[in-house]
Amino acid sequence: MDESILVVKDVCKYFPGVTALDHVSIEVPRGVVYGIVGENGAGKSTLMKILSGVYEKDEGTVIFNGETIERTTPIQALRRGLSIIYQEFNLVNTMTVGENIFLGRFNENHGMRGTHKKARELLDSIGSTINTYSMVGDLSASEMQMVEITKALSFDSKLIIMDEPSSSLTSEELKRLGVIINQLRDKGISIIYISHKLDEIFEYCDIVTVMRDGHVIDTKPVSEFTRNEMITKMVGRTLENEYPPRAHFVEEPLLEVRNLNTRKLHNINFTLHKGEILGLVGLVGAGRTEIIRALYGADKAHGHDILLRGQPVKIRNPKQAMQAGIGLVPEDRKREGLILPFSVESNITMASLERLSKFGIVNHAAEKDIAQRQIDALSIKTPSRITKMVSLSGGNQQKCIVGRWLERNPQILILDEPTRGIDVGAKYEIYVLMNKIVEAGGAIIMISSELPEVLNMSNRVLTICGGRITGEFIPEHATAAEIMDKAIG
Amino acid sequence: MRVGNRMKENTSTRFINFIKNNLVLMAIVVLVVVTAIVQPKFLSAANLTNVMRQLWPLPFIALGMTFVIIGGFIDLSVVGMISLSGVVTVALIDPLGQVGAILCGILLGAMMGYLNGTILTACGAMIQAEVLFITFGMSSIYTAIALLLTNAETLRIARCIKPYTIFTALGSGTVGIVPIVLIVFAVILTIMHLFYKKTLAGRNISLMGGNKEAAFLTGCNVKRSMRLVYTISGIMSAMGAISLVSRVTTATATSGTGYETNAILCVVVGGTTLKGGKGSVLRTMLGVALVVLLGNCMNMLGLSTYMQTVMRGAVLVIAIWLDNRKEL
Repeated sequence: MDESILVVKDVCKYFPGVTALDHVSIEVPRGVVYGIVGENGAGKSTLMKILSGVYEKDEGTVIFNGETIERTTPIQALRRGLSIIYQEFNLVNTMTVGENIFLGRFNENHGMRGTHKKARELLDSIGSTINTYSMVGDLSASEMQMVEITKALSFDSKLIIMDEPSSSLTSEELKRLGVIINQLRDKGISIIYISHKLDEIFEYCDIVTVMRDGHVIDTKPVSEFTRNEMITKMVGRTLENEYPPRAHFVEEPLLEVRNLNTRKLHNINFTLHKGEILGLVGLVGAGRTEIIRALYGADKAHGHDILLRGQPVKIRNPKQAMQAGIGLVPEDRKREGLILPFSVESNITMASLERLSKFGIVNHAAEKDIAQRQIDALSIKTPSRITKMVSLSGGNQQKCIVGRWLERNPQILILDEPTRGIDVGAKYEIYVLMNKIVEAGGAIIMISSELPEVLNMSNRVLTICGGRITGEFIPEHATAAEIMDKAIG
Repeated sequence: MRVGNRMKENTSTRFINFIKNNLVLMAIVVLVVVTAIVQPKFLSAANLTNVMRQLWPLPFIALGMTFVIIGGFIDLSVVGMISLSGVVTVALIDPLGQVGAILCGILLGAMMGYLNGTILTACGAMIQAEVLFITFGMSSIYTAIALLLTNAETLRIARCIKPYTIFTALGSGTVGIVPIVLIVFAVILTIMHLFYKKTLAGRNISLMGGNKEAAFLTGCNVKRSMRLVYTISGIMSAMGAISLVSRVTTATATSGTGYETNAILCVVVGGTTLKGGKGSVLRTMLGVALVVLLGNCMNMLGLSTYMQTVMRGAVLVIAIWLDNRKEL
């Protein structure tokens, strides 16, 4: 038997005007966790799509399990034993766990009873206690991921590709994922682990390949990499630090929230100071997003007072929040932030249209200026103003949303997971922008599931658990463990 | 040599792009040419005048529907709105005079549309299926009211005692060879086009259609935009109803039947995506032209009504298919 489960040799893929992959070669041995890191647009996803049969390669060879693969389709790849678990799960929410695992293959197990029995066995084999009769829609993100992994196992997969598996998991759930990854490795199953989060790469992976601009830059055992070396190779330049130096803040209250209550929130009180970055830490579903949505007027809240520089203001809808000088960069960029089929220009100007209008007529020339100004100021990489948003990378999309608000000069900017799914270089640029805003006398409320990010960027951190504020910390004077302890409740 | 090659390539790609972007126009040209060759009578003055007379009220309805679809919704209630505002307008000619009747008819259309929008926002209907069935229900209500008001009898303009010259003018009057109703429509079309392209309210409609949540979070009053598009649809239905009763000189409680699907067909064929957000008022008019010419051509070529229905369905399916391919 061949020693490597997957050999990719000199694979090239060309898209009109772009070389997405340029003679990429990797070799994945059996029973290892193989990390692939790289910025957005480095070619990781293109490579995975070639392996799973979504794209066809233009040159090179792919040998899977000793068999040279010329062309494949996703279902053929699955049957050969290669599964991909995408960032967005491929599950049917209205069907049960068992049905999802064996979707379309009920006959192989002699009907539904056999299906559920087989599903139970597979779930047990990875130590999961999820009921096979539960609806997938009722599961948490981590349970859904277990179902996806079980689905991969049900195909007797020899190689499982995990694309950003941790993006929707809390740190507790991440630990469980780590345990399962180790179990799979012990069974001789190989895993390709793609992630932006270097901590996970160092924790789980045996071998790491760094990709940049469609090339393989380096491949070696993870123990021979240092964190800085990896980042440098990913971005192709030396980043002094992952985080810019922290901005200083003034002890002057800018925004005070008193007695904020909703169905999910209980008695939320906090103060945001001028020039401050306030971090909200908590598990997914703890109420972090609910707090800022209620504050922003996007969700209904009752009986609360909001004081802006000591003056009470009424915020019942996002428009009033905007008039009060608040801006929101929402959690789900694609669903809540952007209009993907629209141009970069419309996406940048959409919050400023009212200011650009006189007697209800929009000044289109001014609109062009604004868009161009933000594209230049934030060095947004786009072929033109009128390029459709959908063709920009995640980091540049996020910059467009930030630019949308910078144009309005907001005093308070709320950032919900501002760096989710964007690469190290773009992250740094977002951090620098955040510091610029607070240095100009604004203030920022930041939500992030990445603890290091919150600790390094915030002047003050509030922990949220079960819809209540459970603690307040100054990051310099607290350890990550203390903060997580309060956040878990 | 190289430069020459590039030039050639440029013009040929440009030509292909032009065709890709103007499929409807191409389809119209092909249709007209083919029919004109097979049936020369097609291009006769008599036939063309006939087409321009038989056209109404479809352009009005399609114009209103364009705004609803750009906003990301759909309006099946146009059937009921056309029927009800048609009978009310004709019934009011004697009590109020013709100008009063027309104004009341349009006001009624606006009110029905506003009511649709208000009910939809109150129900929190945000997905297409809900919108589809609520507007369908409203349509039944409006049609039923029209039936109750008329006892299912046909109202005839000719029986009115007071003058009805405006209706006659809209129905058959011309300036030179151009029908008066076409001139009226051109003015309204221009206004609505500028409204969509230039105003904040128009932009908000398109933002809402593109992504309701993103529009809401950047300060757009989505509920107001929703009421607005349905009000526009209501007004256009009422205007369409007036052009319809003028042409056929009668009003019945079921005169709006079938216009909803035809209007949606025109909008989609014109290239406005059913997903919402993107669209063009002027292109819808190309859609109207194609749909109407297709009907006329099929008549001229002697196709049966059943076959015509098949063709119409096929055109709708092809239009949606092409629209989805464009996304790729």
